[in-house]
Amino acid sequence: MADTSLKKDQTAKPEDGNEKIRILAFLCNWCSYAGADLAGVSRLQYPPDVKSIRVMCTGTISPHYILKAFQEGADGVLIAGCHIGDCHYLKGNYATAKRFRVIKDLLESIGIDPGRLRLEWVSAAEGEKYADVIASFTEQIKEIGKSPLSKSMGRDVNKSKAQVADESV
Amino acid sequence: MKQELIQKIKKMLESGEAGAVLFLRGEEGDITPAVASDPADAAIDEVYSGDSKFLMAAFACLVEPYHNEKVAVVMRECDRRMLIELAKHNKIAFDKIIPLSIPCSQQLADACVCDHPVPPGCEFDTTTRPVTNEPGGTEPEDGDRLSYWMDHFSRCIRCMGCRNVCPLCYCADCALDNPELLGPEMFPPDIPIFHLIRAIDMADRCIDCGMCEEVCPADIPLRKLYRNALGSLKEALDYVPGLDLKEKSPLEVLGEPGQLGGMEDGYRRE
Ligand code: SF4
Ligand code: SF4
Ligand code: FES
Repeated sequence: MADTSLKKDQTAKPEDGNEKIRILAFLCNWCSYAGADLAGVSRLQYPPDVKSIRVMCTGTISPHYILKAFQEGADGVLIAGCHIGDCHYLKGNYATAKRFRVIKDLLESIGIDPGRLRLEWVSAAEGEKYADVIASFTEQIKEIGKSPLSKSMGRDVNKSKAQVADESV
Repeated sequence: MKQELIQKIKKMLESGEAGAVLFLRGEEGDITPAVASDPADAAIDEVYSGDSKFLMAAFACLVEPYHNEKVAVVMRECDRRMLIELAKHNKIAFDKIIPLSIPCSQQLADACVCDHPVPPGCEFDTTTRPVTNEPGGTEPEDGDRLSYWMDHFSRCIRCMGCRNVCPLCYCADCALDNPELLGPEMFPPDIPIFHLIRAIDMADRCIDCGMCEEVCPADIPLRKLYRNALGSLKEALDYVPGLDLKEKSPLEVLGEPGQLGGMEDGYRRE
């Protein structure tokens, strides 16, 4: 028996639910977090839909965290760290880049839009770039719509089909 | 092949080339793993060379530490690739193992959809040809993909069969038991994260033996899922696990610029 509720979700656009999008950003302490700070003190305007988590290096971000973010209903995940060659632990972001590629391909292969993921290198001096990245990513996520895995979209993915069927009786 | 195999095992033990030989004994439907260190051991005459599969690599990891001499292991190509991966992760001393490689029958290769039924350097005659088509049915196009996978995942009963049978899943502390990631004892498990955690962790060590899919009581196309992850490793980072003992996974070394899977300038979908 095909499950149609999910297909409906996939095409849902924000105006259907009027809900706020939720973006999770992992920011490297040394570059991008400082970049975000600079954007703040420079009073640059950027959309407020982003929740950020500061990490000591993007190399510490386990792929499991990214999966968990989507599981918890994030509509997009941004990873921002130092430029290649500028990582404060020398090559931490090399690991990030490779892991990112594999996780992006994996999510794409099960049908999650790769536009929901973004990897950016933003230095501490690039406050403006940070604001741009947030603006363009937010724009992109709004266009793609709420995540089909998001619980707030009506179908709780953690419920079995039997539970869902029970409730709809 | 059975007679040749018996001769080969006896010869290895008599000549002292191997101190012990690991093999399967018995008849179809009643097979047990066995270790022989004496060429006169009656078990050798009962050696099994049929189509049933057994995790000889896992068996070898158990037995190897108890032997000082070299250990010969009767194995298929899958087992040899498992051993290579396990050796890369320091789970077995590969130089102590002598692979006694046997070919798989055509029937088995067809059933497995396997492109490597005959191990390199195999000493036994065989007519088995590799099967090169893609295993499993086709995945639907973009729009329906997620429903296709979620429908499959939603049947998972969290029996842990896929993890437990997997020869490369050896971690004492498994991410699937981490309550921060998955509701503990949650039944059915959180999807898709349950299956994706396994897929991402297997991406650079799955040797595509298909055991997980065989044991899965819910018929989830796990092999296809892991093959998707393997495909990414191959395409982006030019790496295939299980082939070369000396080649490390690109996800385990930091590497050099230019080998970052095309992510040097970050990633944004246009
Ligand atoms: S996958 Fe290939 S090598 Fe492995 S058991 Fe099947 S036929 Fe043999
Ligand atoms: S073997 Fe199948 S049903 Fe069991 S835990 Fe793995 S995916 Fe789920
Ligand atoms: S310290 Fe910023 S990415 Fe490593």
